[in-house]
Amino acid sequence: MLITFGCIAIFFVLIVLILQFSGIRDRNFTEYAVGGRSFGANYQAMSFLNTWYPGAMFTAFGGMAVSAGVISFYVLSYSLLTVVLMYLMARPVWVWGKTFDLRTQPDLLALRFKSRHIKTIAAVIGIISGIPWLVLGMQALGTLFQHMSLGALTFSEAVIAGVAVIALRQIWTVRMGMRGVVISDMAQGIVAYIGGSAILIGLILWMIMSQGITFASLEPAKFAIPSIGSTEGPLYVFSLILTGAIGGWCWPYIFVRLFTADGVHSLKKSAAVAVPLSLVFGVALLVFGMLGSQVSGVSGAPNDVWFIVSREAGGLWLLGLAGVVVLAASMGHTDGNIQATGAQIANDLVGNYKKLDQAQLIIIAKLGMLGLTILSSWLACLELPALFQLAVLAYQGIIQLAVPQFLGIFWKRGNKYGAIAGMAAGFAVAVALELVYPGYLPWAYGLTSGAVALAVNLAIYVAAAYLLPQSREERQRVEELFALVEQRSSASGGVVPKPAPEMV
Amino acid sequence: MSAVREYRRAALPRWVMVWFVLDAIVALAPPLYWAFDGVREPVLGLPAAVFYFVSVSTFITASIVAAYLAEARDGETG
Repeated sequence: MLITFGCIAIFFVLIVLILQFSGIRDRNFTEYAVGGRSFGANYQAMSFLNTWYPGAMFTAFGGMAVSAGVISFYVLSYSLLTVVLMYLMARPVWVWGKTFDLRTQPDLLALRFKSRHIKTIAAVIGIISGIPWLVLGMQALGTLFQHMSLGALTFSEAVIAGVAVIALRQIWTVRMGMRGVVISDMAQGIVAYIGGSAILIGLILWMIMSQGITFASLEPAKFAIPSIGSTEGPLYVFSLILTGAIGGWCWPYIFVRLFTADGVHSLKKSAAVAVPLSLVFGVALLVFGMLGSQVSGVSGAPNDVWFIVSREAGGLWLLGLAGVVVLAASMGHTDGNIQATGAQIANDLVGNYKKLDQAQLIIIAKLGMLGLTILSSWLACLELPALFQLAVLAYQGIIQLAVPQFLGIFWKRGNKYGAIAGMAAGFAVAVALELVYPGYLPWAYGLTSGAVALAVNLAIYVAAAYLLPQSREERQRVEELFALVEQRSSASGGVVPKPAPEMV
Repeated sequence: MSAVREYRRAALPRWVMVWFVLDAIVALAPPLYWAFDGVREPVLGLPAAVFYFVSVSTFITASIVAAYLAEARDGETG
């Protein structure tokens, strides 16, 4: 236990030292919320990965590869496709963000649709939807700490220990805001995805060469992809990948990465840096999970595959390193979620209706982050049987932000009425369908509730765009917004800051 | 939707857009993944079903790296 917890403690102290010596002081709310838009490509890439892939990748998706086999690769397909969307969005989102000092995703929606209320609606959906995932992430640390204790802690005790560690880590997230998050993401990301990939590849080689496990050892069911005649339906995989790819950018803590870069060039370069790392990590993890299903003890506890195989192959030292990798990934995701939510509470909820100065915005964001940390820590220590179902429900709901977000960025038509009505209807349809048909819709060939709701949402948005045309002033305003993006001068950072339009 | 096309044309080279569209097709088109359902015959040492997903992932990765390199070479990544 000394070895495993020793590894965890050393890593934790290292991250805290990095943050302490980075000497961060936030001069204004833009510094606190988006790190002053100052990060280059490498920081951006690692920050994206560390927020995108939580520690649960090693447990939940590793476990899925063990029990379900090749279908688990859908997570890699959508994780890479979502970077294509990032590449496409980089320029408009960054240019508008810099020009109008946008700090959050609802800020962008408010700008595009000139609506104060859409900002509130998007923020409420984002914050509420994020909480179940935050709690699940904290609870996942229970698995980590139980393995690190070599079974000495019960699961409940391990959850409390995990929650205590991640809550302690939030002291630095609250104090240092986005700059602290991105700087620590670099160290955590290197450990989690570069170190993690190296360990995964080593373990794959160990399984093949020392244990004689190959793909040929696996049962045929592990190579099934739901198609015509399957239980799930032929469009199930399509639906998972589509909603995963477009839904990723609906999470506030992912979207805000587009505002932290020092320019469009850095964003695009970060995409090119992140995808090869993502490819190697994803393939290694999922192949590891599939092969790991043959290791003794794994089939009975698929979500523990990472810990079981690490300990089997490398003893307590490798188990300790495996724990560090999961903690590094978990920290990045949790910090990003809490930081983005705090910024939204200040900027999009309180600040949307009350004029606040820079210092007040920072204080409210810090209080929001503190409150969220306490709330989610408390919830994580409770037994909530419907938590996972709530999290899935939240996901199907939050992806409804995708319609106004993507069409707002790429299509000049569209208005706040269609955006709000489409989102609201899409959210309601997604929740209702998910409650009645959890997982997938048998009568829709395996489409998920969120995918069907997206179609409803899209139909409303497009119908409103044509039935309620923009006024001449609004059309002119939107034309000017798009013209900003197309100006080549904005390419080289020559963006002239402007005040955001008056909201109604 | 003509505004969409005009905007994208101004922002990215046409071949990049074509490759990105192909990314979506190879990852999402149901007939493609149906074809690999349960297929275990090895392709380049991997079972075909695994090979399909690894190929799709590599194809998407290559598109983003190629887009960045091409735009960076032409000074257009801004």
